[in-house]
Amino acid sequence: MAQKILVIDDEKIVCDMAKKILENEGYEVETFMNSQMALERIRQQRFDLVITDLKMENVSGMDILREVNKLYPQTKVIMLTAYATLDATIEAIRERIYDFFPKPVKIEELKNSVKKALGS
Amino acid sequence: MTIRKRIIIAALIQALLICIICFFAYISFKAVLTKLRTIEVIDDLNISLLEMRKAEKNYFLYKDLGELKELIKLGQERSDLLRSAGGYVAPGLHGWTKKNYEILLGTLNKYLDLARQVVNTRQAPPHLEEELRNLGHELTTFSEMLLRKERENVNVIINQNILRLIGSLAGILLIQLVLWQYFFRFIIQEIGIMERMIKMVSEGRLHEVAGKSISPHNEIEIAIKAISDMARMLEKREEELLQTGKLASLGVLISGVAHELGNPLNNISLIAQTYGSLFDLLGDEDKKTYMGDVYVQSERIKKIVENLLDFSRQKKQELREQQISDIVMRSIGLVGNHLKISKVKHHVSVAENLPPVFVDASQIEQVLINLFINAIQAMPQGGDLFIDVFEEPGNGLVVMKIRDTGTGIKKEVLPFIFDPFFTTKSTKGTGLGLSVSYGIIRQHQGEISVESAEGQGTTFTVKIPSMKKDQGDD
Repeated sequence: MAQKILVIDDEKIVCDMAKKILENEGYEVETFMNSQMALERIRQQRFDLVITDLKMENVSGMDILREVNKLYPQTKVIMLTAYATLDATIEAIRERIYDFFPKPVKIEELKNSVKKALGS
Repeated sequence: MTIRKRIIIAALIQALLICIICFFAYISFKAVLTKLRTIEVIDDLNISLLEMRKAEKNYFLYKDLGELKELIKLGQERSDLLRSAGGYVAPGLHGWTKKNYEILLGTLNKYLDLARQVVNTRQAPPHLEEELRNLGHELTTFSEMLLRKERENVNVIINQNILRLIGSLAGILLIQLVLWQYFFRFIIQEIGIMERMIKMVSEGRLHEVAGKSISPHNEIEIAIKAISDMARMLEKREEELLQTGKLASLGVLISGVAHELGNPLNNISLIAQTYGSLFDLLGDEDKKTYMGDVYVQSERIKKIVENLLDFSRQKKQELREQQISDIVMRSIGLVGNHLKISKVKHHVSVAENLPPVFVDASQIEQVLINLFINAIQAMPQGGDLFIDVFEEPGNGLVVMKIRDTGTGIKKEVLPFIFDPFFTTKSTKGTGLGLSVSYGIIRQHQGEISVESAEGQGTTFTVKIPSMKKDQGDD
């Protein structure tokens, strides 16, 4: 069974492109532009990997990270951000972030990181 | 004409008037003096005449020629005196005086000649004596009449002089009035203009004052021109200050805007990478869609950059009919990403059917952005920003209330927040934002006020007259 990846970003294109690329790599991908809805989805379903944007309305990437850590300690989280302050990075590391990508994201690097995270 | 010249001319005219009045007064007094002397001479003559008549009577009573000789002697003395006094007695103001004088002198001499004849003939015929008596009587009557007349004359002349003096004073007053009209009313009017201009400057309506260009003709107009020049300089300074304040806001905005650019750039980058790596797998429709997306994203970048450039440009004030809701929305757009980054949620409520306003949109935008930035900075942990736009019932003012849930402003600094260069942000603030905002709103004949309590957030209220109000005023 394919490994499940959840992509959360309020930019539609990020969701679309990530889905396209990652599905092409053989993963099962779900995307959410609304982080609140994504949070609810996480509570229902365990994902093998969560890729989330940091800055989003209502629920931030950091909130997602904390929820995932709480519910599924095995699930890894990769964070994307256009806004990487040192404070935010340190906070993310403390919350056991798996990887951190500044925007614009390099797809090859992201693909490699996903591969490593999912151990495939 | 300069004020100096005007004053000199007015003073000269007044001095001339006074000289003329003095001259006439001098002539009048001289006439009175002459008359008084005349009276004196005639009075003396009268006394002598009485003595002469007494001598004449004695002669007739006692036929003493000595009495007549006495009479002649006295008469001759008087005649000589009269003749020598003629120099000032005769050329009086009244034409008949000279004639009367000559008659008087003539009659006196005739009387004396007659007396001499009587003396010379020793035994005078009765008709000669009769003639002498008649002439003596005539002379006395005439002289007394003359005296009475001259006394009346003095009264007339004095009364005339009084009238003339009062008339002259009235004339001076009248001429003063004319001088006032021609020389000083202009000065007062110009001072009035100056006063109005100074008031306008103090109200910040610099443009109206700076627009006046005059070529000065006098000292006050020079002062008026100086005020106008001053207003022009102040206007220029204010424009510069406005721009400096804007650049300060821009500094804060720019990080938000840069991040706002990050998203479309990332999107384009992702599309390009996906397009490249999945090229063989993508159908023609997919490829077309991708390119369309790239175009949309590049448009998005263009718009962000355009908005920023538009805001940062230094512009002359341009008043136009505007919808306040458009301005509010554009301003929120410019700080949108900043709000997001700062975890500030904004709640906008704009009343429907707001009347249009006549404003410089970019200046009002500057005020709003400044207030938004202040609000965001007052909420370092995030919070809520409420923007309410409505029309104040009855007075045609459009009101924008900007309320934050931030730290609030300390009571002791509240009175100073609109002062230039006053800042609570130490080196991070320029102290220009609110003072420039205050200037902009005042130039729009509006008002800006603040309510704040420490720990409970701050509310800024901006009121701008709508075009409905302006029409109502006209």
